[in-house]
Amino acid sequence: MQITGWGTSLPEKIVSSVELAERFGIDEDWIVSRCGINERRYVQDGQTTASLAIEAGQRALDKAGLTGADIAHLIVATATPEQPSPATSAFVHHELGVSGSAHDVNAECSGFVYGLIFAAAMMKMDPRPILLIGSDTHSLTVNPADRDLGILVGDGAGAVVLTPGEDDWVLSWDLGADGARASSLKVLAGGSRMPTTEETVRDGLHYAKINGNEIYLNAVRYTVGTVRNTMEKAGLSVSDVDHVVPHQANIRIINSILNHTGLTQDQLVTNIHKYGNTASASIPIALAEALDDGRITAGDLVMLAGFGAGMTWGSVLLRWGGETA
Amino acid sequence: MELPTVEELATQLQAVSGAPDVDVDAPLTQLSDVDSMDLMEWLYGFQSQYPELQADASLFQEDGDGGATLRTVHGRLLALAAQPASAK
Repeated sequence: MQITGWGTSLPEKIVSSVELAERFGIDEDWIVSRCGINERRYVQDGQTTASLAIEAGQRALDKAGLTGADIAHLIVATATPEQPSPATSAFVHHELGVSGSAHDVNAECSGFVYGLIFAAAMMKMDPRPILLIGSDTHSLTVNPADRDLGILVGDGAGAVVLTPGEDDWVLSWDLGADGARASSLKVLAGGSRMPTTEETVRDGLHYAKINGNEIYLNAVRYTVGTVRNTMEKAGLSVSDVDHVVPHQANIRIINSILNHTGLTQDQLVTNIHKYGNTASASIPIALAEALDDGRITAGDLVMLAGFGAGMTWGSVLLRWGGETA
Repeated sequence: MELPTVEELATQLQAVSGAPDVDVDAPLTQLSDVDSMDLMEWLYGFQSQYPELQADASLFQEDGDGGATLRTVHGRLLALAAQPASAK
């Protein structure tokens, strides 16, 4: 499996930490020191999870020199779907003219890494191009009064085109989940357990709610663990890694993961200061920017690592360009 | 099992947070230069060093006298260590 195209979609509307500091009655420095985010993007009228996904997907297809008709399977990773049913991928499938199947993956912020591993497995059974997109619009799911989540989230989408090739770029991978941590970050209402009613809306139960301390602690634990597992499977050391592209959750979590794995700031790819936490989209957006900047080149060892609500986690080690690069 | 003293806990928290000093008798929520993520970072390190204790974020919960202090946390750790293994 190779990555032959990539693209992003970021809403034009910029929301600065200065603006949020005024809204929440706190200091801008508190926001920046707490999460490393100076600004983030919010969707505006007419922009949705699917519309961002379509734009990012089209750009990735263009980069790969393919069209939707060439795509055998479409995977959209999102935790903020276009609507409860059908899947977001159905809308993206239609607009991009994809010829094959359409799938949604909800592993929250781990969704892109989950989707990448699913795609790699699928390609072994069916070696044809796959379009993988991470797209989220968490600004629409956050309670406007929720400071903890409000300062973190941003909207965006990132996409990659995966194609079969002689060299498999995936050297090793690791995925995991711990459903006992399901309450760490949740949206209670709107599903079969708690269907939407006037009361759930009145009580704000359709908004996402986070236990930040639990997320921090377990995000570090699980991401450190998955990075170690993936490196061990590859028989390599973290010092061999050229670039690590973590889920852009919060700079303090990212720095803690670096500290506990032995990865360094020189290896880190981050853009959290510009876009905040874009959930499923954060890894493909950061990856695409690093590629467009020429930072990642053939032969480089690239680690993608994420965690998300569920809790879920995953990592994958890629040899960019394959072993013969 | 030998646990750190309360003063050693303060030193560890200083190292994690960058705070110039940590008053072990001040409520954790009132420590300048120490926030909840610093506490979680310290806790992660502690958990890694003493996994058998099963210490968690409840160490920082307020008690009947108000906000938990680092001395409160230390006392809770000692209590955890004193529990038989089956109770942890």
